[in-house]
Amino acid sequence: MLNKNKKILPFLYLLPTAILLLVFMIVPILYTFYLSFFDWNLIAPTKEFVGLKNYVEVFTDPINQKVILNTLIYILFLIVLNFVIPYFISLIVKFFIKKMQGAYKVLFFIPSLFSLVVGAMLFTWILNPVSGPIAYLMKSLGMTMPNWSNSGILAITVICFITNWKVFGYNFILLLTGLGSIPANIIDAAKIDGIPKWKLIWNVILPMNRGIAIYVLILTIVQGLQYVFTPINVITTGGPYYGSSNIIYQTYLNAFVLYKTGTSSALAIVTFIVFLVLLFIEIRFVEGKAKNYA
Amino acid sequence: MKNNILKKFLLIMGVMSLAVLFAGCGKKTSSSSVKHITYWHVNAQTQGGATVDDLVKKFNDTHKNIKVTAKYNPDMYKGLMQNLQSAQASGKVPDVTQVGWAYDNYFSSNFKYMMPTDAAKKFDGNTKFIDDNFSKRTLSFAKDSKGNLVGLPYSLSTPVLFINKDILSKYNIDESSLTTWEGVKAASKTIHDQSGKYGLYIQEPGDTWAQQAVMLSNGADIQKNGKAAFASSNGIAAYKYYQEMVNSKLALHTPWAQGMDSFIKGDVAMAFTTIAQASHIKKSAVFNASAIVAPHFESHKTVVPVGGSMLAITAQDSEQQKAAWEFEKWMYKAESAVTWSKGTGYLPPTKVALESASFKDYVKENPMLEPAVKTLDNAIPWTSFPKKGLQAEQSMIDARDKILSGSNVQSTLKAAQDKINVEQK
Repeated sequence: MLNKNKKILPFLYLLPTAILLLVFMIVPILYTFYLSFFDWNLIAPTKEFVGLKNYVEVFTDPINQKVILNTLIYILFLIVLNFVIPYFISLIVKFFIKKMQGAYKVLFFIPSLFSLVVGAMLFTWILNPVSGPIAYLMKSLGMTMPNWSNSGILAITVICFITNWKVFGYNFILLLTGLGSIPANIIDAAKIDGIPKWKLIWNVILPMNRGIAIYVLILTIVQGLQYVFTPINVITTGGPYYGSSNIIYQTYLNAFVLYKTGTSSALAIVTFIVFLVLLFIEIRFVEGKAKNYA
Repeated sequence: MKNNILKKFLLIMGVMSLAVLFAGCGKKTSSSSVKHITYWHVNAQTQGGATVDDLVKKFNDTHKNIKVTAKYNPDMYKGLMQNLQSAQASGKVPDVTQVGWAYDNYFSSNFKYMMPTDAAKKFDGNTKFIDDNFSKRTLSFAKDSKGNLVGLPYSLSTPVLFINKDILSKYNIDESSLTTWEGVKAASKTIHDQSGKYGLYIQEPGDTWAQQAVMLSNGADIQKNGKAAFASSNGIAAYKYYQEMVNSKLALHTPWAQGMDSFIKGDVAMAFTTIAQASHIKKSAVFNASAIVAPHFESHKTVVPVGGSMLAITAQDSEQQKAAWEFEKWMYKAESAVTWSKGTGYLPPTKVALESASFKDYVKENPMLEPAVKTLDNAIPWTSFPKKGLQAEQSMIDARDKILSGSNVQSTLKAAQDKINVEQK
């Protein structure tokens, strides 16, 4: 009797989460996959089966191609702004600055408490190329501010900076905590051996912090692409001519503005697969490392 | 001991089930005499939401047999449409729904609704209410591509040219020269040459409403017999004018919020945008602001697409439809319509309200509204293509973005027109 209970109980404990996952994640994903083979406007009684047409469109339509390219640019910018720079600064704070570590943590973390909509509106005002404070300042110095919302690459840059403002502190703290968990005796040993600091960081610290670093890297990409959605929606609505759109905004635009659920679902499934691959990498490195310790 | 607990439990359950039973009875008796209907609208607290609540409260206080519940839907007409889709899927649709003009055909071909003329005939015995209150032109705004009257026009707006009088007088520009787009260009050039400021901003939201007004006022058609027709020589000339203005820095090309901000701060002399912006401009502008009728090109007249929304009856049950019709009729009373107009900045839809003393007084206090009211006589329905209308609008937005980024006007407009017409076959 007791034995039987032991077998069932774990599943019973899992049940609430499993049901939630099933209802809110797995079923919608399966339904999205199903919808990606149809042409449907969200409400019409009939769905027209179109086979793989939506998937072909994802890769052949010039607008989608532009959007995929933008997505790659976004990823590159996000990695630099939200991963490389916070990592660099956390290394400096950890190994080169002795005082005020707590103050830096708090200061960097504050913006992540604000809503992105607020941030986006604030930055639209500050960075208004004609009438914003920065534009006025530049004018008084005899310069003109470029009209960034009319250039895809500049708009992407500004949008990435807005998300940077939001996630920098969070990523910084994660990385700093990771660095803090590296056993002190290893670092002390290296110091006694007289190994230069940069060599210590390159050969010892970075490899030992790899798990957290990969986790933050994946988070930067997956969460970053979702975070940029808000400023895109508030400021540029993907413009100029899809110049600042990314694959997630395009999925939204197709589904809820144009009611093209087929195209939208195909885009969503492609994104899903890309994220799945990233997740696989994360599991390989992060969880794999945990196994090594055990 | 155990038995005792069980008894207590049963007693509690018994009391609760009785309570539920009585509650159910109570509802049943009241629902036979009072009809509950829901009204879905898009007015946030900053956009007249408080006025909607006031009107609904007033209606409920004066109508003992109908109780209206107003529900605000975020994200404007787009957000409301999304909610309506899920409501339809779950079978719980609202009874009265506010529908934006751009969704006219999408709404009429995908949702069940009762035509206002049918409601009038069924519940009043005639269509006198509609005939007395609405002009033919106003009713034409609410017709779908098959000519069916989908709802009754509720909020109306037209684009006007807001002007910064301080800048104009500083550079000796005569207001009367701004009745044509050619005059606007000359004025913009004077301002730009002498101050470096921009002359004009034309609103660029997620639709091409204002750009359509520019094309229409050059004698172009947006659609003809259900097909896109804007790539005509007149349409192309209008967009070329706009592109040249942007290229030579006479006109500002930027998203809507930033463009209006620049106008309000006095960095742009004129803004071509919806009359619904009037109260915002009045409140925020630090200069002497005024509004004039939408300009036209020389040898053409002003024609603008109407903006705003209509009210449609989405109730399914006959009793509910009757209550919805009662509510609508009350909302269109001159007094309610003027209150609504004051709260939202839109123009009232009925003849009676437009001619009422209270609205005329209101216009006197807010002279910016005057050109908008005048323009109503030159307004035509907002273009809504019969098939894939929302995608058609997106094609026009794409064309605007491309042209303002420097693409060839003729080929871009032609490509957009062809893309829309492929879907219309």
